[in-house]
Amino acid sequence: MTIALGLCGERVATAQDRTAARAEPRPTKNPFEGNPQAISNGRAMFRTRCAGCHGPDARGYLGPDLTGLWAAGGTDDRLFDIVRRGVPGTEMTAADPLRVLDKDIWQVLAYVHTLSGVSAVASTGDARNGEQIFRTTCSSCHRVNGRGGQLGPDLSRIGSGRPRAGLSSKLRGSSDIIRPGYEPVTIVTRDGERIRGIKKNEDEFSIQIMDVRERLQGYLKANLTDVTIDKQSLMPVYGPDRLNDRDLDDLLQYLTGLRGELKPVARPF
Amino acid sequence: MRSVMVRIVRVTLVALAVSWSVAAQQPAPSQVTAQDLRDGLKNPTRWLTYGGDYANRRHSPLTQITPANVNRLTAQWQFQTDTLGKFEAAPLVLDGVIYVTGPLDTGWAIDARTGRQIWRYRRDLPSGLIACCGLVNRGFGVLGDRLFKTTLDAHVVAISRKTGALEWDTPMENYRHGYSGTTSPLVVKDKVLVGVAGAEYGVRGFIDAYDAQSGKQVWRFYTTAGPEDAGHGTWRGTDAKAWEHGGGSIWVPGAYDPELNLVYWGTGNAGPDYNGLEREGDNLYTASIVALDADSGKLRWHYQFTPHDIWDYDSTQMPVLAELPINGQTQKVVLFANRNGFFYVLDRATGKLLRAKPFIQTTWAKEVRQDGRPMFLPNSVPSEQGTKVCPDQTGGTNWMPPSFDPSLGLFFVTARESCGIFFTWKDDYNPGDAFRGGAVQRMGETQSSMLRAIDAATGEKRWEFPYANQSWAGVLSTAAGLVFAGGSGNVMAFDAKSGKNLWHFQTGTSLYAGAITYMVDNKQFVLMPAGTTLTAFALAEF
Repeated sequence: MTIALGLCGERVATAQDRTAARAEPRPTKNPFEGNPQAISNGRAMFRTRCAGCHGPDARGYLGPDLTGLWAAGGTDDRLFDIVRRGVPGTEMTAADPLRVLDKDIWQVLAYVHTLSGVSAVASTGDARNGEQIFRTTCSSCHRVNGRGGQLGPDLSRIGSGRPRAGLSSKLRGSSDIIRPGYEPVTIVTRDGERIRGIKKNEDEFSIQIMDVRERLQGYLKANLTDVTIDKQSLMPVYGPDRLNDRDLDDLLQYLTGLRGELKPVARPF
Repeated sequence: MRSVMVRIVRVTLVALAVSWSVAAQQPAPSQVTAQDLRDGLKNPTRWLTYGGDYANRRHSPLTQITPANVNRLTAQWQFQTDTLGKFEAAPLVLDGVIYVTGPLDTGWAIDARTGRQIWRYRRDLPSGLIACCGLVNRGFGVLGDRLFKTTLDAHVVAISRKTGALEWDTPMENYRHGYSGTTSPLVVKDKVLVGVAGAEYGVRGFIDAYDAQSGKQVWRFYTTAGPEDAGHGTWRGTDAKAWEHGGGSIWVPGAYDPELNLVYWGTGNAGPDYNGLEREGDNLYTASIVALDADSGKLRWHYQFTPHDIWDYDSTQMPVLAELPINGQTQKVVLFANRNGFFYVLDRATGKLLRAKPFIQTTWAKEVRQDGRPMFLPNSVPSEQGTKVCPDQTGGTNWMPPSFDPSLGLFFVTARESCGIFFTWKDDYNPGDAFRGGAVQRMGETQSSMLRAIDAATGEKRWEFPYANQSWAGVLSTAAGLVFAGGSGNVMAFDAKSGKNLWHFQTGTSLYAGAITYMVDNKQFVLMPAGTTLTAFALAEF
């Protein structure tokens, strides 16, 4: 019976485990990043130890999608810590230092990082023009470094987590993947008002949305005459008629360069 | 001065006499007897087993809360564990006290009137635990003045019902090799029956009986057939030792028929989960129901739901005992809504298959032949490239307990519609390492979940209530014609006949257990574990 396990972890974290894990100094950057043999080893270990929860493609099943970890601000050493120590209170238990070596974790992370599909090869576009296009075309819904709308996902680190090809297909409208929390929804109230937005949560009796004016609101289904989860993303399709190939290349150059990492914040206490 | 002293002594003596007299008039603290367990819910103030009674019907005779007044149900108190994790246990209730286990091998005695803690138990767990699928526990068993539970480090323990103190502690197997205990015990006569989990690490599963008094092992039944067992020939293939690490976990307790003196237990998937190349054959007694002599543990009959399981369709669901009209005669049967998506009716004495019908969409098999074997469909074997199969490995249902209303003949189950892409590869067996031989890719658009009422006699669906999200909640029904279940954090009450939703309460967290009900001070409570909180509901008094 497989219900859930944890990212490569199989054992419950104890104080002893954590002490042992802390005792060894370790690098902050993955020493196996891009190493073909290590990536191959990591794939084999991922399949045996992690795929049960996170899926064979690491896009999540009973556990979360791992392909966007870096895009979400994860750093190599932080992700190493999560695997080593586990996530208390969840099925993601700690990796026993006696059974799982540091280099095993690094190799698994090196493999998982390849699944984000981020290529080191730069495009030839003009990032400055791309940024300008972003400001005029995309920023009403998407935020970068604290500026822009919030109806769509924050793209401050999108270059760390999504490949150029994936971004391109999303812009051109050939990808129908909609991230959880951004599903488009249309509701109709008893007085006939139609409200479009994105679904943030839902249960049998209520739905919580952000409408297109970025207003967060919950509704009782008993007070609605219709709730439709739309198949089509709220994001417009940018075909060649709206965004020519050269501008697309410039925009992609800008987006793939967005790899902001969380900066350490000085703690006063 | 002397007269004052005399008066004090007299008053004290009178007070002592009064208190002695009151104590003498009070009933002795209840000892739970084997007969009490056999009586099940005849005393409806109690809830003494995971399934409510030995038949596992989770159907209470209490009728204070009815379809007409259930909309007045309000929260009376809440108990919070102050731990991480979640409840998957069925609380026990006895004489106004609740006994419940929590995550990471914790447990509590709680005042059933107020939710106030009486004592707390916590096991000091060793480092290096290997536990698949949540650090949870599904509840206590009870006999006499003792409570019994399995532990994450694969022990079975007895603790005092009065104090929560440890009374005996018996190891079942080596937890470093992937064995763990999460099932609630089934207490039968003077024995505590339990099993182990760990098929995902290549354990050899078993059901054990321990003497309730001493904690000594009385018998063991292995769920993978060894050389001494009749079913051993069903383990073939290139790995001659496949049966030694062939899985067959136990996650939830079985049922007991006192007249036949048989215990009925569902067994888990074969290991490795998705790769059957090295374990050709049916792989008995995995993904089966076994009927064992309660005194000796000897196998009386078995029925295998999923021969040579390669989809993780373990049968870790709760068998339900019932009497049904079959061909004009009332027959003693076992009802089983299986993770593989079929609803089965079996003869309780012989194990003969009487009926099998899908209760969700299935693509690995569409029907079961009269001889009891499923008719496998082509293109359903996990592969290196991936194979779409329905249901996915979380199944048509899972460990969450169903309920059965004998007056309506309805079986209520949390059902799940899903498909997944099944991948397979070779995993080598190393004790304590994951041993799945594959994994499953999500097909999110195929997933839905609902409460379904199944006519037990025909297998036909009577009604259903769709949930907004996948539900892991168990089910409770009552003689008043109510069904309690839930999803998306909502505890809900339904009309048992029509499925109409009558009441709900948002607990704020996911439900991974089923409600129970009990009576104290002539007040019926419905108790729902949700997250790490217990919420007790009763009718509002206006």
